[in-house]
Amino acid sequence: MKCVLVATEGAEVLFYWTDEEFEENLRLKFRQSENEEEELPALEDQLSTLLAPVIISSVTMLEKLSDTYTCFSTENGKHLYVLHLFGECLFIAINGDHSESEGDLRRKLCVLKYLFEVHFGLVTVDSQLIRKELRPPDLDQRARVWKHFQRLLGTYSHLREQEQSFAVEAVERLIHPQLCELSIETLERHVVQAVNSSPERGSEEALHAFLLVHCKLLAFYSSHGASTLRPADLLALILLVQDLHPTQDTTEEDDNDDSKHVQPKQLEKPSGLWPSPKVMSSSQDTDSISLPEEYFTPAPSPGEQSSGSILWLDGGTPPTDIPQMAEGTLRGLMPHSPEPSSPQRIFLDANVKENYCPLVPHTMYCLPLWPGINMVLLTKSSSTALALVLYQLLDGFSLLEKKLKEGQEPGSALRSQPFVGDLRQKMDKFIKNRVGQEIQSSWLEFKTKAFSRSEAGSSWELLQACGKLKRQLCTIYRLSFLATAPSRGGPHLPQHLQDQAQKLMKERLLDWKDFLLVKSRRNVTMVSYPLPGLVHFIYVDRTTGQMVAPSLSNSEKMSSELGKGPLAAFVKAKVWALVRLARRYLQKGCTTLLFQEGDFRCSYFLWFENDMGYKLQMIEVPVLSEDSVPIGVLGGDYYRKLLRYYSKSRPSEPVRCYELLTLHLSVIPTDLLVQQASQLARRLGEASRVTLP
Amino acid sequence: MATPTPSEIKSASWWNYFFLYDGSKVKGEGDPTRAGICYFYPSKTLLDQQELLCGQLAGVVRCLWDLSGTPPTLIRLRKLKFAIRVDGDYLWALGCGVELSDVSCRQFLDQLIGFFHFYMGPVSLAYKSRSQEELSLQWDTFITQVLRGTSESHRIFNALWNLDHTKVEPLLLLKAALILQTCQRSPHVLAGCILYKGLIVNSQLPPSLTAKVLLYQTAPEDQRLPGAGAPQQEAGAALPPNVQITPVFLSEEEVASLHEFTVEQKTRLQESSSQYPPWDRSTPTRAEDAWTSATILEPTPHDGAWLNGRGADGHLLGHEQQEHAAAAGLCATACGPGSGSSSSSLQQELGFSQEELDLSEIHISEAQEAFSPAPALGDQEAVFTSHQAPTLPEDTAVCSCLDPSPLERLPESRGLERLTDLPISNGQTQVPGMDPLPRRSSRPAVLPPQDPGAEQYRDGSHEHRSALACTLYSGDSRGPSTPADRIGFAPSPAGPYAGLLPMNLYTHSVNGLVLSLLGEEPLLRDTAAIEEVYHSSLASLNGLEVHLKETLPRDEACPTSSTYSFVHYDRIQSMLTANLSLVAAPQDRRFLQAINLVHSDFAQLPTLYEMTVRNASTAVYACCNPAQETYFQQLTPTTRSSGFPNPQDCAFSLAGKAKRKLLKHGVNLL
Repeated sequence: MKCVLVATEGAEVLFYWTDEEFEENLRLKFRQSENEEEELPALEDQLSTLLAPVIISSVTMLEKLSDTYTCFSTENGKHLYVLHLFGECLFIAINGDHSESEGDLRRKLCVLKYLFEVHFGLVTVDSQLIRKELRPPDLDQRARVWKHFQRLLGTYSHLREQEQSFAVEAVERLIHPQLCELSIETLERHVVQAVNSSPERGSEEALHAFLLVHCKLLAFYSSHGASTLRPADLLALILLVQDLHPTQDTTEEDDNDDSKHVQPKQLEKPSGLWPSPKVMSSSQDTDSISLPEEYFTPAPSPGEQSSGSILWLDGGTPPTDIPQMAEGTLRGLMPHSPEPSSPQRIFLDANVKENYCPLVPHTMYCLPLWPGINMVLLTKSSSTALALVLYQLLDGFSLLEKKLKEGQEPGSALRSQPFVGDLRQKMDKFIKNRVGQEIQSSWLEFKTKAFSRSEAGSSWELLQACGKLKRQLCTIYRLSFLATAPSRGGPHLPQHLQDQAQKLMKERLLDWKDFLLVKSRRNVTMVSYPLPGLVHFIYVDRTTGQMVAPSLSNSEKMSSELGKGPLAAFVKAKVWALVRLARRYLQKGCTTLLFQEGDFRCSYFLWFENDMGYKLQMIEVPVLSEDSVPIGVLGGDYYRKLLRYYSKSRPSEPVRCYELLTLHLSVIPTDLLVQQASQLARRLGEASRVTLP
Repeated sequence: MATPTPSEIKSASWWNYFFLYDGSKVKGEGDPTRAGICYFYPSKTLLDQQELLCGQLAGVVRCLWDLSGTPPTLIRLRKLKFAIRVDGDYLWALGCGVELSDVSCRQFLDQLIGFFHFYMGPVSLAYKSRSQEELSLQWDTFITQVLRGTSESHRIFNALWNLDHTKVEPLLLLKAALILQTCQRSPHVLAGCILYKGLIVNSQLPPSLTAKVLLYQTAPEDQRLPGAGAPQQEAGAALPPNVQITPVFLSEEEVASLHEFTVEQKTRLQESSSQYPPWDRSTPTRAEDAWTSATILEPTPHDGAWLNGRGADGHLLGHEQQEHAAAAGLCATACGPGSGSSSSSLQQELGFSQEELDLSEIHISEAQEAFSPAPALGDQEAVFTSHQAPTLPEDTAVCSCLDPSPLERLPESRGLERLTDLPISNGQTQVPGMDPLPRRSSRPAVLPPQDPGAEQYRDGSHEHRSALACTLYSGDSRGPSTPADRIGFAPSPAGPYAGLLPMNLYTHSVNGLVLSLLGEEPLLRDTAAIEEVYHSSLASLNGLEVHLKETLPRDEACPTSSTYSFVHYDRIQSMLTANLSLVAAPQDRRFLQAINLVHSDFAQLPTLYEMTVRNASTAVYACCNPAQETYFQQLTPTTRSSGFPNPQDCAFSLAGKAKRKLLKHGVNLL
């Protein structure tokens, strides 16, 4: 029994996701109270009705007590409710079947929040605007938006349960140096460079290109000017690709998932393992990429009227009350039939002109090569500079707001703060090009309130003015990046450039295709690590966000060294439990953990090294509260913060962070276990330094 | 070895709020939230704040209950967490700091509620029969005791304070055990424990019960928990010196656990000099009972009561019982058809005023068990009514025999004679469905004060009784009486306190040494049995006390020179052995944090049984089995390691060290 709900303070549903059991439960509740013949209220209304007391109470508590609910649990933790407040939106996750811990639920909420950011960028900063994106007044559109995120959430949950890389939230590489090299070369010459040298690319510039085999990264190439892609962003991209082109899951657990909540599995079902290709329906075919025969049409879910393409997000409707200037433009940008592999607007962190800038607009092209093998191309447009300016301005105003809320009086003291001067200068410069726009008058108004000596406004007035400017900046951000998204007809690479890159890559990898697919299932095998008593391990380089672990498959068709079926499933459950426990202890400041549970001995180590591989002294890791963002990468990169925290004590040298989790048989004595862990860590460390670029 | 902190703990940083909220008082839109607040700690909290917390939490609990089908047991905020317990319309919430683990928070709430149930009976009845102020004082006392009795390590485990066994001659412990066993042979006595200066020397009771008994002992004289009735101190003549008997309530499970290990009942009965059967026995042998003299009461006014139409099944009641009930007169003796229970309660009844309210308790629970038919109730009612009639001259007589001591001394017949008239005079006047409140208000204003000290108390108990009568009455007047009807006003039968059974807590203190025994109800009036217990244990207790005083070191200074810390927790007896100082040093803080974490996991993961956790500054080794948990930390400063797996790392040799070092503390990990 699971549910995720995003609501405003007034209990308006901005998004929900439920599993079938939860939905059925709701239905029963409302059946009881309503008359049989009466139509049941919509699911969102049911949820809103039932949870409104909790939502309103949590707002009341926040107002009156400056504290609010974070978690509810019933006897033995059977039912868990996790609440997390992001800005003015309350995120609630519910579990009624013991299958998720509080940490899992909170992580799910943080991941959902992050997915919203990836899709809407800095628009998420403004609660009014994000409300319109997530809850468009148009019902069809709202259904589409919700369906998209419901599906993403489903994909995420599935990957978290199935893939080790998503369990520890690190990218898993497909280990094959020769192929990796070959692919990188192709990506460089025939994809990135080919695109960037083409005059038809317009303002788009290819930055990154990479190849995925299922969830595993085969090769990654970044152009010279591009900043590095954060591990969290790369993981999010893999999640998006998996959502578009789900891996043929061989672990067909024929559980009857609700057809309305599209799970990746269901999309695969009509196609079986590697079925004969179906040609896409003509409606979807119009301007699709050149290999329609490789596509499987997802069976339309019973509840849907149209084809699978409806699942695709086309963004929000024009908000009704945004400044007038937007009206005309937006009307023209009304969504037109998007289809699964059309380029997508996403927002990723990047360095722009040497400045760190979060949520920079990018365009993602997912170019499928064969089922299970995808190429992804990331481009940026020339408007990136605008993103940086907007971010800096928004950041400045947020800081100002914070100071005002902390009780700083407007006046000379505030004016003399360096960031205020900087903000003023940047804003003046920014406004110059915006003649006739509402933001100009708002800025003038603000300036008189904040900077003139005579009629300085009160701090409340200033806060209001601040909020108004922020909203206008967000609106500009929205217009510039969301309204002109490629899916809404915004600029993107011409189709034939995409086709060309795709075709070339297919030619290069054609001979390797089957090998890659098999290799991805047996990437690393325990045979290569002959340590007696060692059952499994996961090694993570947190600096690069990459992990190495023996393949763990409990599918019927693909057996691993642990055999198949129940035994593998058992070991898998142990590994997942170990990950969970290790995170819990790390959250509480423990960096080493060794425990015996049943017939297994599990261990967890976290340590720091410098670039030369020299082991650095451990530090006291911060102890976090239960309601803090859980340890992980996707929903807030804990390790990045940890590395920054460590670097404070060693500013001179770069620091790297590693984790090792091992699972041994319990007959192995502690000293031998630690010795093996040590050997393993050394060997994996060396290997990563050699093979991984 | 740690001892309870001697200083008064007025408040503790980890203990923020505690309240009891009665949702039934806030039903309509216009009802103010404050009407439902039965008790709020700290009492200084602004009323608005109290209303906010009670109202919001109660609302959220209701909402989540609807959604999940079960009420939440824990509500966590950013800076606070609330353990929640719901019993019918009543809601308890204990607000603690977030650093206290969820498990401990819940345990403290359970403990607090347990205390209340133990000394006061079911909450709904307690609040119906006593004034809120009086009960608030009780809660204050309970909270003070809980706060007083915790060090951080004890808080984690919710452990009991016990004597450091390594510092006591083992023979003394054996002696304590023997004393308890001897006492168990006495009639009615089920099990007990021996405490020395608030520390457990030996206990036969399950830890939760020991905690409750311990509470009574650790309360300072001025705030002694009077229990549902006052300690039977005023019965100076009846009770031997330094002995108190307090009526208490045990849950069915607790009673069952006591019966599990008692000496053979039969043997005991044979041995015992008592002529009274244990309460749970049906005894047809009442002929030899002095109580049978009650027959002189015939004819009883109960007939009148039956006539009121509620006594359809009256014939089911043994004639004798009716008589007894009548003899008991004042009270709600009349009960289920089980003759045994009836007779036993009768026995209780006759004795003591303070008992009354408990008795009513008994009857309810008994009535629940045995599906006693309506007449029982009608009967009760009649009795009550009659008893409360203000105009009755007999009333005084009744009340005077409420006092146990004179009665004990009285020839039975005389006492009974006094009782005889009263029901008769009033039984017929009773009208079913009459509003009980007027009667309540017109109860006799003053009881003949036998003991000035006990007066106030007696008044309270009287009120309780009358209120109970009202309850019973209204319960009945709803319509045809069904068992369910009667259950209605008792705590919800499904709840853990569905059946609270009355018991007696016998305490005998010899200076710092206290013998506490839990006995079945008849104990209170069984002078012979009390004497037997007293005399069989007196000499040994005196001896034990002297020995303990001599053996125990005066100052419990901690071995500061120790190179390690450890905490050993006995899961069965809920006892701690540790070498931590009371005020946690920085090193200890880390240790305690680790213990807190690992302890929760040991509780949740049954197959987890050994764990080493380490951060930059310290490493802790923990292991557990079904009977115990042990935590060990090396204090010698170690060179900081890198965290990289290293077999030479001292963290990984902790297991071996713990095994060796702890042997001398009597902890065997091998």
